[in-house]
Amino acid sequence: MSLDVQNLSFAYEQRVVLQNVSFTAPTGQFTVILGRNGSGKSTILKLLAGVLPFHSGRVQAHGQDLRRLSGSARASLLGYLPQFHRTVFPFAVQDVVLTGRAAFVLSTPGPRDRKLAQEAMEELDLLPLAERPYSELSGGERQIVLMARILAQRPRIILLDEPVSHLDLAHQQRLMRLLKRLTQEGTTVISVLHDPNAALLYGDHFVFLKEGRVIEPGGHPWSPTFMEEVYGVRTLAVPFGGGNLVIPEPAGGCHV
Amino acid sequence: MKRLSPGLFAALAIPVVLASLFVGPSDLVQARHIAQALTHPFSLPGDETLAMAREILLQVRLPRVLLAFLVGGALTTSGLSLQALVRNPLVSPDILGLSSGAACGAALALALPGIPLQPASFLGGLLAAGASYLLALNRRGLSILSLVLSGIIVGGVCTAILTLIQVWVDPFKLQTIVHWTMGNLHLASWEKLRSAAPLILLGLAGLYFMRWRMNVLALGDEETRAVGLNPEREKLFVLLPATLVASASVAVAGIIGLVGLAVPHMVRMAVGPDNTRAVPASFLAGGIFLVLVDDLARAITTFELPVGIFTTLIGGPFFIYLLKRSGAAFGE
Repeated sequence: MSLDVQNLSFAYEQRVVLQNVSFTAPTGQFTVILGRNGSGKSTILKLLAGVLPFHSGRVQAHGQDLRRLSGSARASLLGYLPQFHRTVFPFAVQDVVLTGRAAFVLSTPGPRDRKLAQEAMEELDLLPLAERPYSELSGGERQIVLMARILAQRPRIILLDEPVSHLDLAHQQRLMRLLKRLTQEGTTVISVLHDPNAALLYGDHFVFLKEGRVIEPGGHPWSPTFMEEVYGVRTLAVPFGGGNLVIPEPAGGCHV
Repeated sequence: MKRLSPGLFAALAIPVVLASLFVGPSDLVQARHIAQALTHPFSLPGDETLAMAREILLQVRLPRVLLAFLVGGALTTSGLSLQALVRNPLVSPDILGLSSGAACGAALALALPGIPLQPASFLGGLLAAGASYLLALNRRGLSILSLVLSGIIVGGVCTAILTLIQVWVDPFKLQTIVHWTMGNLHLASWEKLRSAAPLILLGLAGLYFMRWRMNVLALGDEETRAVGLNPEREKLFVLLPATLVASASVAVAGIIGLVGLAVPHMVRMAVGPDNTRAVPASFLAGGIFLVLVDDLARAITTFELPVGIFTTLIGGPFFIYLLKRSGAAFGE
């Protein structure tokens, strides 16, 4: 299911964060949103996820206006992984995963909800942690648990805010491969990523943000010129696959 | 961590209630009386001692034990639910200014003629909680921090009014007001139980229905929205029954300190943080706790000491002991 963003604008009180942002995230593809801190990346995801209300612009999933959807319709459409999360209550991991079913549960979850939560934990190798208190996990493990929560929710579009920034290399690879596989099975993934190299490795489609606006690469997106425009630093380009791996230039230049 | 089943509390509740029927200043009541009253509740006994014992048992002790159980369970369940709602284990039903509001309403009723006590105090509690809620609402919904702050302010204002009333009234009324605020289970009757029970049970049913949603809500507003629920609506659905339950309890029994704060902790330590287990366990454990503390209040002295003093004197140190022993009960 594709997601169509048209002329989305947003301001926190007086501070304008997004101005007329438009892009399309194609069905079954991995769309990556890139840009510097404060460029509005997380805000876009929060608007798409319905965590923040928006007043200007339109977001359509397969032709349906997101703002018109009920809670459960939205939940079967969209899953959202927030940037950073902790809780004071030491809920068991399996209970946190089960909350992914919230929109489909009247009072308490039934056998089907428990089965879906179980499958999601299996998928992410979380079964050994099922009884562990969520609040005692590392940031990376918590991220995986919240990912399992999304899988239990079974949405057709998944929104992720910096999903790998707290993860070690092994967890990073596992999560990114899972997302890649989900896109191959038809799920649409939209993720904010800090690392342009991870974007190059796993992404299909890229949206670059600068100061709340979408900027288009004139030529090659991973070229040092465009990377400098996006991130404001000089980079070195190492040819890799269909693009370049990007290395920030060390102090005093670099002699390769 | 080893977890107890909520069923254990259910199994404990019945013997505790039955045993509590023996506790009291009169030694007329014996096991055979209880057995007789239970097996033949409607037949009139011939012998005079038996009739007296029966009167004490059915008209004094039974309503008192049942009211203590209901109020203890209600305050604990309300406290547990509010802790999930504000995502802070340091919260009790007092957080919304509820107890102070109820005390203020009660003091008004006791000071002025023509105002019925229990409804006045119930309304006082509801109004205070409602005011705290409305003050905490802003354009982006209900801010938890504002709710806690406005609760403190509303509670402060109510306490000020209460003090003002206490300064003005004559010493006899002052004594009544002071006694009321310390908890007054010794005034329990079937009539009091009948007036409070429907409201409390209605609210408890609401909290029981919402028990799993409290898990969702406890993870945070964003996380609640992310799975397709509206956190503002869910919070209101927890807040309304929790307030109803606590206001009705305070109105019928006065201020009984620490039950709504400490017992939920003990329950979570015993059955774990999952509210689907903790909500029913809270009702049972809170009921057992208050019945036992009230037993002590009756057994230790020959005259009646307000139960609110005992809940704090006994519950406080026990609570601190449990916290110290279990160490990191809450993440950190």
